[in-house]
Amino acid sequence: MSSPKILSVDDSRMIHTLINKGFAPYDVQMVFASNGAEGLEVAAKEKPDVILLDVTMPVMDGVECLGKLKADPALKDIPVIMLTAEAGKENVLKIAKMGVRDYIVKPFTEANVIDRVSRLVTLKPKAAAAAAPAAATPAPAAKKTRIATDAIKILVVDEHPAIAESIAKAVSKRGWKVVSCPGPAEAEPHIATSVATEETPDIILVSLAYPGKGALKFYQSVRMNPALKGIPLVGLSVKTATFDQNEAKETGYAAIFTKPLDLGELPDRVARAMDLDITPIFYSAEGDCQVLTISQDLSETGSLDLTRQSRKKIADLVNAGFAKLIIDLTGVTKFEIPLIRAVASIIHECNNLGIAWRVVGDDPDLSNLPTIISTNLKVAALKELPNPFANTAPLDVFETKAAAAAAF
Amino acid sequence: MPNPEKPGNTLFIETINLYVPEVMQTMVGLSATPGKGVENYPQPSKLKGVTGAIGLSGKVNGIVYTAFSDPLSKHVAEKILGGAAGEQDISDVVAELTNMITGNLKSRLCDLGFNCALSIPSVMRGEDITVSAKNATICVGNDYAIEGCPDLLSVLVFAALDN
Repeated sequence: MSSPKILSVDDSRMIHTLINKGFAPYDVQMVFASNGAEGLEVAAKEKPDVILLDVTMPVMDGVECLGKLKADPALKDIPVIMLTAEAGKENVLKIAKMGVRDYIVKPFTEANVIDRVSRLVTLKPKAAAAAAPAAATPAPAAKKTRIATDAIKILVVDEHPAIAESIAKAVSKRGWKVVSCPGPAEAEPHIATSVATEETPDIILVSLAYPGKGALKFYQSVRMNPALKGIPLVGLSVKTATFDQNEAKETGYAAIFTKPLDLGELPDRVARAMDLDITPIFYSAEGDCQVLTISQDLSETGSLDLTRQSRKKIADLVNAGFAKLIIDLTGVTKFEIPLIRAVASIIHECNNLGIAWRVVGDDPDLSNLPTIISTNLKVAALKELPNPFANTAPLDVFETKAAAAAAF
Repeated sequence: MPNPEKPGNTLFIETINLYVPEVMQTMVGLSATPGKGVENYPQPSKLKGVTGAIGLSGKVNGIVYTAFSDPLSKHVAEKILGGAAGEQDISDVVAELTNMITGNLKSRLCDLGFNCALSIPSVMRGEDITVSAKNATICVGNDYAIEGCPDLLSVLVFAALDN
C-alpha cells in the first residue's frame, strides 16, 4: 500500500512548515498549495487522500475552493479538514453543510492535526514502514488519549521513589496509572518494552537533576523515536535550579513542575501539559439538561483550564441542542478564587449564548452568589472577568438537580 | 435571563485577553501576560517594529493591529519555525499570528450576532507607523508581556458596530 498523500492549502508558509514538521516522522507524502485556486490544481493532479484547507486566503478562499472540490466528481470524495482561525457558529454550520469531514480551529498543536488526519488515513512511522511495509502499525497519535477521564499512563523518571509515590497518590483520584524508573538508563528499555506492548506512556515526567545533562539527552533519545511523537515530557526540578529549567525549556520540555510538588494542582497541570480536554470531568448529561459539577477542591490550574475549555464546551452544547445547564455546587461552602472564576465565567458564557442555568447546592450562602461574585471580582486575580450578574438580588438555589430541572 | 449585550470596549479587551495568550502559548510555547488594557485608546497612535493588520468588514467594520518589536518578532518566528528566520519568515509568522487572534475575535463577534469577513493579513515595518480609525466607536488596546522577552506585544482593535 502506498503512503498517504496529504495536501495542505494555506497562504501561510508558517502553517506549511508546522504541518510538514508534524508529519515528518510518518511515512506520508506532503503536497502544498498557497490558495484555493492552486489547491484545486494540485488536488486534481495529485489526488491526495486528505486535504487540510484554510478559509481566508488570497485569489480563492477556502469556502469557494471547498464548493468547487465538492462539485467535481473526481475530487468530491477526498476528505477535507478545515484548518482555520474562524470558528463562529454561523460559519462552522455553513461550512459543515458543504461536506467537510472535520474542523480544526487555530491555534492548533501538531499533535491535534496528526490525530485528526490519522482518523482518516493510516499513518505509519517511517521506521516501521521501512522495516515492515505491509504491517498496519497504528499511528501513535491516533492512540493518544485526549480526554481527562481516560486511563492516562504516566512514566516518572526520578531518582527518588517518594516523588513517584506522591505523584501516583495525587493522580489516583483521576484513575491514572503511574510507572516509575530511577533514571534514564532504566527508562529507555522500559519505554522500548512499553511501545512493543502498546503500553506507551501518555506523558513522561523527568527529574532535571541527573548529571551530565542526563535529562536533556533523555529528551533527545525520546524524540528520536517516532512512536513517541507528540508525547509531552515535563521536567521536575527544585525551584532554585533556574538554569536547568531554562535549558530544559529550550530543549523542548513542555513544562516544568517545581519541587516540592503541589499535589493538589498536579493532576490538572499534567492535563494541561497533555492538552487534555478536562470538561468530561465536570460536565454530564441528565435528560435534556447538562450538569456541571464543581467541587470545593477545584485547583487554580483546573479553574483556569475549565474556564477556557468551557467556552468551546458551552458553544458545542448549544450546537448539540442543549439549552439548559444545572450548576451543581453541592458540598461547596467556601468561595475561593478558582471556584469563583469558573462559576462567574461559565454563567457569563451561558448568558452570552442564551443557555438557561440554575444552581444546585446545600449551603444557604449560595443564594448570595451574585454578591459574592461581584465583591470578589475586584481582587487582582479576577479583575479581568466580566460580572455575569446585572444586580445582587439573591439567587434561587435548589436542593436537588431534579428540583432545578423542574424549575426551567 | 439577561439578553446578550452589544459588544463594548470591555468585551473586546476581554476577548483579546483570552485569545492572545492562547495563540502565543499554543503556537509559540510562550506565555503572554495581559496588561491592564486601555479603553478609548488614543488616536492616532504610533506603532513601531513589525505590525500585522487585518481588516474586519460586515456587521463589524474595523481593523486589528498586532505590533511586535523587531527582536520580539524574530524571537517568536525562530521559536515557531525552529531555526533562523529571515524577514519574509518573520512577516509570515506575524501575519499568521494576527490571523489567529483576529479569527478568534471574529468568531466571538459572530456568535454575538455581529458576523464579518476578514481581510488577508498585511504586515508593515517601520519605526514610526501612525494608525487611526476615524469612525471607530470601539478603540481598545493592550500590551502583553511575553515570557523570556523584554519587549511587549501590543494588540489594538479599532472597530465600529452596525446598529
